[in-house]
Amino acid sequence: MASRDRVRFNVGGQLFETTSTTLANAGRESMLGALLDESWNPGQPEYFIDRNPACFSTLLDLLRTGALHIPSNVPEKLLYREALYYGLLDHVRGAKWGPFDGNTLRLADSVPGRAPGDGTAIRGAPDGGCCVAHGSVVHVYNWMLEERRPISLDYQQVNDVGYIDANSIVITARERLGKGDGGMAVFSAATGELRHRFRVEHGRQPKSFTAGALSLAGLDDHRIFSSCKGRLNEYGIGVWDHNTGQQVDFFYEHPGCSLGDADKLQWLPSKNCLMVATLFPRTDNCFIGLLDLRDKSIPWCWSDAGITMNLEDKRVLHAIAMEDGHSICVINQYDDLGFIDLRAGNTNSAGTGVRWSSRSKLMNQKVPYEESCYPKLATHNGQLFSCMNDSISVFSGSEHVLTSTLRRSYGGSICDFSIGGDRLFALHNEENVFDVWDSPPCPII
Amino acid sequence: MNSQSQSQSQSQRRKNFKIEAFKHKVELDPKYAERTWKVLEHAIHEIYNNNASRLSFEELYRSAYNMVLHKYGDKLYSGLVATMTAHLNKIAKSVESAQGGLFLEKLNHKWADHNKALQMIRDILMYMDRSYVPTSHKTPVHELGLNLWRDHIIHSPNIQARLQDTLLDLVQRERTGDVINRGLMRNITKMLMDLGSSVYQDDFEKPFLDVSASFYSGESQQFIECCDCGSYLKKAERRLNEEMERVSHYLDAKTEVKITSAVEREMIANHMQRLVHMDNSGLVNMLIDDKYDDLSRMYSLFKRVPEGLSTIRDVMTSYLRERGRVLVTDTERLKDPVEFVQCLLNEKDKHDKIISTAFNNDKTFQNALNSSFEYFINLNNRSPEFISLYLDDKLRKGLKGASEEEVEVVLDKVMMLFRYLQEKDVFEKYYKQHLAKRLLSGKTVSDDAERSMIVKLKTECGYQFTSKLEGMFTDMKTSEDTMLDFYAKQSAELGDGPTLAVQILTTGSWPTQLTAACNLPPEILTVCEKFRTYYLGTHSGRRLTWQTNMGTADIKATFGKGHKHELNVSTYQMCVLMLFNSADGLTYREIEQATEIPALDLKRCLQSLACVKGKNVLRKEPMSKDISEEDVFYFNDKFTSKFVKVKIGTVVAQKESEPEKQETRQRVEEDRKPQIEAAIVRIMKSRRVLDHNSIVAEVTKQLQSRFLPNPVVIKKRIESLIEREFLERDKADRKLYRYLA
Repeated sequence: MASRDRVRFNVGGQLFETTSTTLANAGRESMLGALLDESWNPGQPEYFIDRNPACFSTLLDLLRTGALHIPSNVPEKLLYREALYYGLLDHVRGAKWGPFDGNTLRLADSVPGRAPGDGTAIRGAPDGGCCVAHGSVVHVYNWMLEERRPISLDYQQVNDVGYIDANSIVITARERLGKGDGGMAVFSAATGELRHRFRVEHGRQPKSFTAGALSLAGLDDHRIFSSCKGRLNEYGIGVWDHNTGQQVDFFYEHPGCSLGDADKLQWLPSKNCLMVATLFPRTDNCFIGLLDLRDKSIPWCWSDAGITMNLEDKRVLHAIAMEDGHSICVINQYDDLGFIDLRAGNTNSAGTGVRWSSRSKLMNQKVPYEESCYPKLATHNGQLFSCMNDSISVFSGSEHVLTSTLRRSYGGSICDFSIGGDRLFALHNEENVFDVWDSPPCPII
Repeated sequence: MNSQSQSQSQSQRRKNFKIEAFKHKVELDPKYAERTWKVLEHAIHEIYNNNASRLSFEELYRSAYNMVLHKYGDKLYSGLVATMTAHLNKIAKSVESAQGGLFLEKLNHKWADHNKALQMIRDILMYMDRSYVPTSHKTPVHELGLNLWRDHIIHSPNIQARLQDTLLDLVQRERTGDVINRGLMRNITKMLMDLGSSVYQDDFEKPFLDVSASFYSGESQQFIECCDCGSYLKKAERRLNEEMERVSHYLDAKTEVKITSAVEREMIANHMQRLVHMDNSGLVNMLIDDKYDDLSRMYSLFKRVPEGLSTIRDVMTSYLRERGRVLVTDTERLKDPVEFVQCLLNEKDKHDKIISTAFNNDKTFQNALNSSFEYFINLNNRSPEFISLYLDDKLRKGLKGASEEEVEVVLDKVMMLFRYLQEKDVFEKYYKQHLAKRLLSGKTVSDDAERSMIVKLKTECGYQFTSKLEGMFTDMKTSEDTMLDFYAKQSAELGDGPTLAVQILTTGSWPTQLTAACNLPPEILTVCEKFRTYYLGTHSGRRLTWQTNMGTADIKATFGKGHKHELNVSTYQMCVLMLFNSADGLTYREIEQATEIPALDLKRCLQSLACVKGKNVLRKEPMSKDISEEDVFYFNDKFTSKFVKVKIGTVVAQKESEPEKQETRQRVEEDRKPQIEAAIVRIMKSRRVLDHNSIVAEVTKQLQSRFLPNPVVIKKRIESLIEREFLERDKADRKLYRYLA
């Protein structure tokens, strides 16, 4: 029985012996899986494969142990190509980095860019690739960090980007006066082709618009949200179904709460609401609200309007709803974290309600750098991330204790970062370099 | 071979050595692509011809890889489409040529072959599927294979209609009782589903539903002409189950809802009214005959269609109302209140059981039952009295020997009827009277049962409803203590005179009686006076009045031949009998004069002494059933009884007589007045200003737990309150009333 299980390969002249059990790990949807399938005369004494033996050896080892070890004489790109031949690329990707944990991140790569202007946004793809928006162009990278065809929407200023899935990128762009261009569209990440342009109708009339911040409802909910500015004061939040590509709703801006200019949108499934944050310096008065799209109401909102502000006062610069849906985390120019309780009813009273932590003293940075970027926030699996200047801080636990700091020596301050596909991507302001951080695979023991 | 050709080309290159310009792409031998494709095309042919064993997978995979790598993906892909199409066209011909019943077999067989081939082709072209297909927006190989099968086989003009007819014909044959090859059917429908839900729907499901609907439309028409309701429903249920079974065996699970709704529509929804009202077998007959199975079937089938349950409910409600109305207005039944109430309870039990066994305890049906009872019970304004009488009967004797649980069950059932009553205050009036009689005569079966009933009334109607009833119980207890004390202190003085048992009743707690005191015999009177002195001595500031109409007495009597009997009689009867100690015969008038018992009571009491067989201690002349004022009464010397103790009951008026009823009604109306006024004042105090209709509505709402006030009466009370200056009419708007503080 043991010998029956055994399989011999001659790969490019080199002999390998393994078992069909090991090869079963490759799956039926791989070349090796098909090779041994009973529909193809199985049970041959030896299978010849006309490929590189060193790569085969590495990949066979991956199938045997589940771990990837690339010998120094095998270039990584070569291994990827061979893995693609065998249909094992997903196996390689899965073994390259482990489950995401903010406290075990290591710098996996730094990718220099060539874009002329400041970076706008970086987004991680579900499969570990990413895209970087610079001015009017979005550069797309696959998970092997090979650049694909860049994409643009009529070469208009890109405001936000996002992944619908690993192969679909949605971008929002500014409209040029009188041109009817810009707006929002989906592109293929692989080929850079324009797949679909989202339309906005007001009173059954299609209108051109400038699309701003983006948010996807996620999972089984196919809705996609974007802040919109139309020419005739058609400001508000547009809602589309990315399956059908059709507009499904429009939430017109109420007086006193700015939606069309929003910096940040975030869908909160637990509350069935969309969080909209319009913040300094885009507006003088910060507004954060939860929109209920079903009855077009704003069941909760917060604003700092009415407090006399001078430049030294703490200003909310970014906001993110925490994963438990109970609070919104905000950050100011001193890198202080603050929390606004969502359960405390409508705290419309001006500017109150933020519980600031006093981390600024800890960081000992009274005045921000001259060349700094505005801080940003992100959450992942209960961890909270904030970027300020050239470093990213990781906070863990229910009390949000500072547990790790990620910093690179060059590239200047971080203008945006994103977590996706179990990787963290940080875009630097200078030299357009972006860093990829990931957690190593689980250790052997 | 290989090494030789290599050295050849090397030597060639050495001859024509020159430095070539850098080329971005190395051009491949253009014939290479054609050659490689030929290899692959040949392999595809061999796969379709079941000759795959001679093929080398590795070589084919590498060939396809090379074509894609060298940008011949388009050629590879279009070649695949062309080759596969050619094969499928051949397959189509062969399927078309299959005779009769072999058609499906052949199709199924070819489908299995195609799937196997498709899998192998995909194996070879896996690399193309992974790299060329997504970037050039082509259909992946597997899907392509299915699409081509759909277009060239299933939608081939010679197959499409034939396939559909064959499938529908098989279903039809199965419906008429034939056995068909379900495995084959399942394979074919599975094929249609694999080709995409739209193929399954368009090529099979839609026509299947249409044909089924017309089949069931015809069949239901035929059934309804010749079946009774019960067997029609059985047939419909069986058909429904058959269709569900069919779906589980060889159709898409999503078809179940569609086909069942078609059956439901054709067999049930379209005939609902006719079924429910079917002569001799419809819903009403099922209810009458307690056909639980049929009812349950009707419920579960009708539940499946819109308006189904409401149809049942409406018919049931109108049947219940009509039946109830007949019941409560049946003059025969009204003669016996206990029977009357028992009848209602039986009716309730019967339908409760139907709802719980056949109607799944459906809340809406329970509500319909309750509202029907509420409707007809209140059609008869004697219902409150009768319910109280029923309870009286049960608490007097009906529950003797019953366990605590059984008692609770009976009381709970009566409470159910009580809840339906609109005039709960009328019930209270009667209940108080009946309770008083029970307590005073010591006739109640169990104190626990009485108290349990009070607790139930209290939870239902609140404290004030029962406070007086509870007062009656307290009085009974106090009386007992007082009598013990009286005899302890006064026994010496009393000697061996008659023993007296007094029950002291608080005025107000007990039903007020006209105090028509009679003349007590002197022996009794002495003891009574002694008690009066004792009682007033211990309790200052009270007044005692004798309620002789409510007492009883035990007297010893000696008849002819020395027969001694102990007679248990009412106080009135005692007064009458004592007269015969000193006279043998007395006329009615003499008795009336001596005792001063009210005429009605006296007649009743004489009737029970002289006219009841076995208890006739008096003899009347002339002998007749009724007492007239000319009658003469004699001591019946010949009276015998096998019992030493003889209980001579009064001919109690079970039901109230007409004048009494009027009186009670009047008292109820009188009692309602202050309650209505209090409600009006309460409402106006908080609202200050209100129009007439709102007051009426609010008052009705506040009082409906006790009774349903008549708007006319409310209006009168408002007027009276205006007279007494609690309210005034608004100067500007006469419809508005104002509260005057």
